[in-house]
Amino acid sequence: MDSKPVVDGQRQAELQRAATPGVAAEHPLRIYREPLPAVFPAELRVPEVRLQTPAVGQRATRPDARLHGLGQTRYIDDMAFPGMLHARIKRAGVASARILRIDTREAEAMPGVMAVLTGRDIPVNSFGPSFQDQPVLADDRVFHAGDGVAAVAAVTEQLAADALEKIRVEYEPLPAVFDPLEALREDAHQVHAPANNVYARKVIRKGDVETALAASAHVFEQQYRTQMVEHVPIEPHAAIALWDANGRVTLYSSLGRITLGRADVARTLRLPVNRVRLVGTIVGGNFGGKNEITQEPVLALLSKKTGRPVKGVYTRNEEFTASTTRHPFIMDYKTGVDRDGRILARKVRLVLDGGAYCSWSETTLGKAAILSVGPYRIDHLLVEACVVYTNKTMTGAMRGFGAPQVCFAYESQMDEIAAALGIDPLEIRLRNVFVNGSSSPTGQVLDSVVVRESLLQAAERFGWKEGGA
Amino acid sequence: MITIRFVVNGALQVLSVAPETTLLGALRNQLGLTGAKSGCEVGDCGACTVIVDGRSVNACLMLAVQADGCTVLTIEGLATREKLHPLQRAFEELAALQCGFCGPGAILSAKALLDVNPDPSRQEVRDGLAGNLCRCTGYTKMIDAVLHAAQELRAAPTSAATHGER
Amino acid sequence: MRSFEYVAAGDIRHAVQLLAEHGAEARILAGGTDLLADLKSSAHGPRLVIDISRAQALKGITLTPAGLCIGAMTTHTEIMRSALIAEHCPVLAAAAHTIGAVQTRNLGTLGGNLVTAVPSMDSGPALVALDAQVGLAGSAGERRLPLTDFFRGPRKTALKADELLIDIVIPATSLGKPAAFLKSGLRKGQALALVNAAASLWLDGKGRIIEPRVALGAVAPVVMRATDAEQFLAGRPPAPGVFVQAGALAAAACKPISDFRASAGYRRDLVAVLVQRALAQAYAMAEGRT
Repeated sequence: MDSKPVVDGQRQAELQRAATPGVAAEHPLRIYREPLPAVFPAELRVPEVRLQTPAVGQRATRPDARLHGLGQTRYIDDMAFPGMLHARIKRAGVASARILRIDTREAEAMPGVMAVLTGRDIPVNSFGPSFQDQPVLADDRVFHAGDGVAAVAAVTEQLAADALEKIRVEYEPLPAVFDPLEALREDAHQVHAPANNVYARKVIRKGDVETALAASAHVFEQQYRTQMVEHVPIEPHAAIALWDANGRVTLYSSLGRITLGRADVARTLRLPVNRVRLVGTIVGGNFGGKNEITQEPVLALLSKKTGRPVKGVYTRNEEFTASTTRHPFIMDYKTGVDRDGRILARKVRLVLDGGAYCSWSETTLGKAAILSVGPYRIDHLLVEACVVYTNKTMTGAMRGFGAPQVCFAYESQMDEIAAALGIDPLEIRLRNVFVNGSSSPTGQVLDSVVVRESLLQAAERFGWKEGGA
Repeated sequence: MITIRFVVNGALQVLSVAPETTLLGALRNQLGLTGAKSGCEVGDCGACTVIVDGRSVNACLMLAVQADGCTVLTIEGLATREKLHPLQRAFEELAALQCGFCGPGAILSAKALLDVNPDPSRQEVRDGLAGNLCRCTGYTKMIDAVLHAAQELRAAPTSAATHGER
Repeated sequence: MRSFEYVAAGDIRHAVQLLAEHGAEARILAGGTDLLADLKSSAHGPRLVIDISRAQALKGITLTPAGLCIGAMTTHTEIMRSALIAEHCPVLAAAAHTIGAVQTRNLGTLGGNLVTAVPSMDSGPALVALDAQVGLAGSAGERRLPLTDFFRGPRKTALKADELLIDIVIPATSLGKPAAFLKSGLRKGQALALVNAAASLWLDGKGRIIEPRVALGAVAPVVMRATDAEQFLAGRPPAPGVFVQAGALAAAACKPISDFRASAGYRRDLVAVLVQRALAQAYAMAEGRT
């Protein structure tokens, strides 16, 4: 086999030259490599900067696809260890309550039930990527219906499920709030009192929005809303915990961010991080929904209690009620334009339904706020965004971190403005889009901007004609 | 417990199962054939698709005792790493597998389709895959892969016909 | 799933005998697509599951002097592929094709679909439009009912505790009758019907509509006939305007609910459109245009 390095010294220099704008055309890059399948071109030309990278348009096969297609990939639920137990978590089923009593005696007495766990057994009963506001298992209070209140490890899954029904939980119902706008009101039920329901804010100001709105030829105002969305990975959340005799725990988990997860697990178990080994396996669909720990500490403690490996796999029901979802947004847009449809000013108010816990809400809020004005040159703007607690399934990371929601709003409004002014929807965008040197809402000067070119190319490819035919 | 006898991927298996054991449970837990996945347990996602007596079924909605006397093909019986079934090769090469969790089910649905309809239209492929949910690919590449494999199988039916049959 | 006892009934008599012995403690396993999903989620499973999938007498499609007899254990896929169905009542194949997805149709049976009696079932309207009857076997013998009398409410049928649905008969008078079935769901594959509708009609010597049937699913507690629309159609010459009006009458007569899938108003609008289109399709068949 040819042992020549992929890129030798001389080629390195050539590569560098070729990467300099303006030189690319005269200096085609040659990469020396071992022969690869025919789908990879032996020679790669470096296209002009900003238009295309060599990867675009190339066919690549996933290295793991072979075993996927053969059904030989091992996902968590495909693994088993000798003596392994199965865990299930009892969900509250009520949205807001104080837990008065949890009686686990009957469940513990069932043959085949090896351990029962409640919130009181968790060394540090809180976690979360931004704020540690989520209990591993609810001990004192229930904040949404999907909260876990107890967990069981049994010799079979069915037995664990049966045992959950023998666990009796006495609740004192508490007021609840489900509507994010209602949650904003001062007299609203405060989900995590004494903390305010508004748990993160982001304000972006640029220019003088009020004056610019007043000077606009037309002002458009509209509210847009999006709904809660679950990731629905076909593989449910799954993990296996093995607590060894030396007090170390090994976790196999369908978790995307294992380093962060490891720290979170160590914190909840009050263990030094070097006592926790977290093995990320092949994940059967993540989409942002497997970016934080869920049942891992519970499984670890059940394993510690029983001395046996413990597996937990969420039911499809739990995927919807006890894992994160995409934030529903309520978006108020007020946009001032001149007679030609040039946007002069835009005011945006975003209210994110944050559900019962923060999860990745802060990240989502920031990204949504920055992107909420769209890829358009607007000198005067004001964005006020906040995320509020409600007694609902927590919302967190999902593909785009808030970008899809605001895109739905600003592009909808673009179409409405275009229709009202009788301007072609493509044309109104071309008049407003970012160009090289435009500055983002937060003041970043943008380089390599190809919005205009992209729009024109797309319009040409799908045959856009004025009037929307 | 009930004793069942059935042929799985060409080999006779005799199992003792509880009445409530699903075919999926028996395949995964008793025979170690984990290629069929448990995704929803109610017949919506198709990740557990296997072929029983030539028909694709959701193994989560069939009791193991119902497979008594049947011939079952799972993804493990379709091919080996060295000798792929054209469907598996097409799924791999045309990027129809991302996270891969739905892959075995989708491939077996496609096989069941091509076994009765070797030259399906795009719409017929969509219909054939309607019971297999995929959250990664958006289906387009899967449909492309099935059509591609169908073409290959028609061109050289003998090279693949030996795969996965009984 | 919780544990239960299992018996495979060899024939109809065996199944009926087991039902008579165990009554409410037993559940019938036909295709299993509804039953198993149900058993997995229910807190109190049955004590006994009676598997009738091996009873040969419940399978197959035969042409008899009384009509086309479809065994209760006939799967949706078998209906889709049956030459007899294609010849005498292709509307059943069209309806069967919209049920679930391939895997569900390979296991699920016509009898099971009817016994589950979910208002949105896809096999009901087409059968009702063809005046189908069902055969029930019990300890007291066999009886035959019009399908419309079989449905008693959501998940409720006329079956007594010791009775088994054994067959579905399309009367000889309905064989070859022009009929169409249409369904609207949130997506095309594997979706429950927001509304489904079937229509059938004959034309008399003067080209007027006779014996029209308009059947609707998912818009009432049971599969319903839109009798106002049928009365309006009877004796009229077919025309687009007539079908539109029949659709409006059907929409006025149905009793849809609002749920997370669709509002009652939207369902009503769908009824008007689907009925109109189904009638137009049935008419096109009657004219030999399709």
